[in-house]
Amino acid sequence: MNKHPYIRAYLAGIAVPTVFLLVVMSAYTTIRHVSEVPLPIERVIVFPMAVVPNAWGLWNVLYVAFLERRHIPLGLFGGALLLLLVPGGYVVTRLLNFDIPHVVLVAAPFNLPIALIVYYLVWKHIVGFLNAELGIS
Amino acid sequence: MSEREMEEIKKLLKKSLPAMGDVELRRDLWPAMQQRLAQASVHVPWWDWALLASAGVAMWLFPATIPALLYHL
Repeated sequence: MNKHPYIRAYLAGIAVPTVFLLVVMSAYTTIRHVSEVPLPIERVIVFPMAVVPNAWGLWNVLYVAFLERRHIPLGLFGGALLLLLVPGGYVVTRLLNFDIPHVVLVAAPFNLPIALIVYYLVWKHIVGFLNAELGIS
Repeated sequence: MSEREMEEIKKLLKKSLPAMGDVELRRDLWPAMQQRLAQASVHVPWWDWALLASAGVAMWLFPATIPALLYHL
């Protein structure tokens, strides 16, 4: 299992958001089309569908390539990815003229700490587990 | 290095490294390995549980944070 560590790191990185996307998209499709909720999120779905999983994969490749040998905690490094994704996600909504629901904007001060905790835990435990299973850490 | 010197080095090396006597294992290591694998469990430190609980409570108090989180996950 010494071959292609970066491909394995990429695959371990994209696994979590890819699985979450399946769950989220199923829930969203049900809510949007069955309950007819007027929230055209399909306009900005490109961000969680394409950008986020690839960012996770590349972030894990960066970690395995440069930071693992320096004993930088994976959870903290994974949490730092959010600091890139949040402004990126906001820019996508602005570029595509997507109106963020008012309730989400009101809760914005709480979003970052909660998301940081979730990112930290997911990277530390799930991505770390996948890295170990794939023999890259 | 001459042939004679090589032979001398070989002799010195053989003299300095004692011959290994009993190389057989005294017991089968596999059952112990199997036991250790069976006992292997995921250790989650208490502060991670505390963080998880605080995130859960915060999401329960402010459910509007959930769509924003899912958008970035």
